[in-house]
Amino acid sequence: MHPAERQTDYRWPLLWAGALVALVGAILLGVAISESEAWAEVAGALGLSFVGWGGLVQSFDAGALALGAQKAAAVAGPKALVAGTLVWLAGWGLIAAGIRRAPASGEGPSPAAGAPLYPRLARYRDFYWSTLGAYGGGILLAELALLLLQTVLSSGVPSDLGGAAREAGGGLSLPPTIAFAIAFIVSMGVAFASGFVGASRAQRLSFPEATIGVFYLGLPVPILLSLMERVPSLQLALGYRLREVTYVAGLIGRPELAYWLVFAALVLALVLGINTGFIAAGSGRVDLRLGFELFVARRHVAVFRPSLLLGALAVLMFGIIPPLIVYFIIRGAEAAVERTRVKNLGLADPLAAASAQHRMKLHEQSPTMMMTALSVGGVGVGVMALIIVLSVMSGFEADLQQKILGTNAHAVVSRYAGDLPDYAKVMEQVKRVPGVVGQTPFIINQVMIASEGNVDGVIIKGIDPKTVGSVTDLPQNILPGGDLGHLEQPAKILPSSAAEGREDAEEEDPIIGKPSKPAKPTVLPGIIIGRELAASLRVVVGDRVNVVSPLGTELGPSGPIPKSRAFRVAGVFYSGMYEYDSKFVYILLQEAQDFFAVKGATGIELKVADIDDARRIANQVVRVLGGYPYRARDWGEMNKNLFSALRLEKLVMGIILSIIIIVAAGLIVATVIMLVLEKRKEISVLKALGVPDGGIVKIFLAEGLQIGVAGGVLGLFSGLAWCLFIEKVGIKLDPEVYYIPALPVRIEPVQTALAVVIAVLVTYLASIYPALKASSVEPVEGLKAE
Amino acid sequence: MALLSIRNVFKSYFLHGKRIDVLRDVSLDINAGELVSMIGASGAGKSTFLHVLGTLDAPAAGEVLFDGKSVFAMNDAEIAEFRNRTIGFVFQSHYLLPEFTALENVAMPALIQRRDRGPAYAYARELLERVGLGSRVDHRPGELSGGEAQRVALARALVLKPAVLLADEPTGNLDPTTGEGIHQLLRDVNRDLGITAVVVTHNETLARSMPRRLRLAGGQVSEA
Repeated sequence: MHPAERQTDYRWPLLWAGALVALVGAILLGVAISESEAWAEVAGALGLSFVGWGGLVQSFDAGALALGAQKAAAVAGPKALVAGTLVWLAGWGLIAAGIRRAPASGEGPSPAAGAPLYPRLARYRDFYWSTLGAYGGGILLAELALLLLQTVLSSGVPSDLGGAAREAGGGLSLPPTIAFAIAFIVSMGVAFASGFVGASRAQRLSFPEATIGVFYLGLPVPILLSLMERVPSLQLALGYRLREVTYVAGLIGRPELAYWLVFAALVLALVLGINTGFIAAGSGRVDLRLGFELFVARRHVAVFRPSLLLGALAVLMFGIIPPLIVYFIIRGAEAAVERTRVKNLGLADPLAAASAQHRMKLHEQSPTMMMTALSVGGVGVGVMALIIVLSVMSGFEADLQQKILGTNAHAVVSRYAGDLPDYAKVMEQVKRVPGVVGQTPFIINQVMIASEGNVDGVIIKGIDPKTVGSVTDLPQNILPGGDLGHLEQPAKILPSSAAEGREDAEEEDPIIGKPSKPAKPTVLPGIIIGRELAASLRVVVGDRVNVVSPLGTELGPSGPIPKSRAFRVAGVFYSGMYEYDSKFVYILLQEAQDFFAVKGATGIELKVADIDDARRIANQVVRVLGGYPYRARDWGEMNKNLFSALRLEKLVMGIILSIIIIVAAGLIVATVIMLVLEKRKEISVLKALGVPDGGIVKIFLAEGLQIGVAGGVLGLFSGLAWCLFIEKVGIKLDPEVYYIPALPVRIEPVQTALAVVIAVLVTYLASIYPALKASSVEPVEGLKAE
Repeated sequence: MALLSIRNVFKSYFLHGKRIDVLRDVSLDINAGELVSMIGASGAGKSTFLHVLGTLDAPAAGEVLFDGKSVFAMNDAEIAEFRNRTIGFVFQSHYLLPEFTALENVAMPALIQRRDRGPAYAYARELLERVGLGSRVDHRPGELSGGEAQRVALARALVLKPAVLLADEPTGNLDPTTGEGIHQLLRDVNRDLGITAVVVTHNETLARSMPRRLRLAGGQVSEA
């Protein structure tokens, strides 16, 4: 840093006065907050104040709380709050006024009056307000673009008013996730562009301006969105408009996390834009070509050598020790062979032997080479871990989803209150909705089930055997020995041999000890139970069970007794979900109608063509049925907690595993810094040959990026290989404990690509600092004669 | 008009915290096609003078004019481009890039200028043949002798046919015979290609063989 670049002048009286005023403001704020008893809520925002957003957040939060909570102090509170905030801000304004850049210093280093200073330094000014505006405004614009696009692109889809809005021409009805993807990409582009423009105007890496701009213009939006969850009045004011945004954020269960991640991504795009803009135009001219820079970079870090790549891949696939042993054995053998050859050569042709020896010496690797290999391995490990863990978690999610959707419908149509007596008519109407591929009526209730061995509380479902197969996997899940069709023809159910034995035993003649003529067992209605339930009740197909309903009592001789009915087990099903196999039983719809005195059905289960579109189709079904009193819920809504938890878990795992990549990025920083130190002389020479600063930055960025790309590609291959291994060979799990025979794995292309992209981005960011260091090497430094 | 002129240039460097004023209000003109030698004691600032002349180091005050235009008024990228096109450097050590072959080293300035690789390599090969290294094109600097490396460095300085060649004790690390070969090459370059050359040296015989001789002492440049 040249002294002419940053010289600040402190006006101490103003600074002290400002500090005092700000202190008064802070006290006022504190009083207001404690009056509204909102300290607990404010405490959370205090964390933010350390980041720099400060008093405004607190006062806003506290103000909203005070207003929302309708405290007695609500009248005094806001006034004190506003006053406190103003005083606080005024204090900071005074402090800001007290710190001024000194006027261009008069005492030049030169006694030669009128001679121009080195113009490079003269061009730098201390602080660029327009740059701050570009960055702050850019990120704000990006956020607004995201919110607006998300709302516009997906509006018209859900909610009761959606249809009207769409018919009025308001918005495209894209699925929310696709709308989010589009909006996200566009806003990333906006943030990148603003960073690019800002940096190329300022002609330097203006991180102070960027930081301030982002904090004071960009931060309010995610703060506002996060506060929405906690402040009811805010939710009332904004909630409706931001419905689409909050819905997408809510998909992972913790919306705040989503807001902050998106914000972080936007900031990342901005930083990338700044960096690119600086390289492109840092010295006044856009030049993004990468000809000789790449040529030089590839010679400096020869990452893409088969030996290095194969070695790193071997380490990733088989661990560190085995490949190392193999490597040393091979190297040892090679060296021995080479030495013998050179020795023999030496007898015949000493000169050729000398150059062979020289080549052997060249084979030795420099520490930087080792560092490069380590960094590549580090990034590879990170990407591999990310891919494997995310794929296994996706596997679990897919497994769970498949099991849940195998047993449950994709969507359920019912009425807000009461049953569906006219379900046949409703089904006719629903059939016309495009996207619905199957439907079946059902009755659901909770009962006790008792066998001779045990008793259990279960969920009983009345089903229509003819159509149930079009919605769920129940027919396929019936274990051999049972039959779904027997629900309708209970006479065909053969009593189990054990049951037969017992029934026979009852009729056994006690005197002659010989069975009397076999009595025809009474025809009982059929029931289908889960495998776990069958085990706990100790029944098999053909056994008799009693179902007792606590609702709807019958009058017995000694007062009301619970309604009870006997069934014969017609089949046992296995869904693979412990909860379902132990808690669900199925009977015939008509039996259920009779048993629970239901007219018609509880609701209709639907199967849709595309499960990701279930939410939209469910809404359409409701619209076709004419809205209230009908309602439809999709599987995501019915199992929201479970899937939100899964997604959140995956996200958090992803973030935690990204730390490995960040550690690897640290390695890259160290490696590239070592490279810079090692290549100081070369950097000076390149500058003497006419490479501009931007070119040097590009060379070293390309070097870091090469490591990142090599590591990312290696991680991708090894991660995919491990996933394939888990999928094809399998890692066995104890089914007794996990209820799943092997570790499931599902490779999702987007998520896998994202892992690699994140790794490459992080390594790119990591190499910015060393690259700048490299470009700041003065040419004369490295050219000093030794 | 002079091709290169420096006007009222001041430059100091710091050694162990002490300021050493190596250029004190130096003004000088060098005409096109001149072959100039500069001698001076060690530490007198000959290299600094050459660095300022070659835009590698900015003067504390004063101007460096090329064809009448102030060089340091340009921005970084323009200065870099100016250096690339107009000035060839030869240093005391060869300063070749160790990862590249002799051929690639010679072609590097052309690659920096984003010329196509084919013609650049062809011309580099021709130059290497002219300095007598036709058989060493694919060797790396580590496999060349000091004299050979210095000749490669000279070829590199000439590959873009610069207007000015600045040599900083090009034979300082070489034995007299090898050094004389380099001197002869420098004279040939000046005579055949018309390249203006400034050669810093403390080899009196070499200095005497040049048409114009400068001496740097006490921060002042004088004709010797």
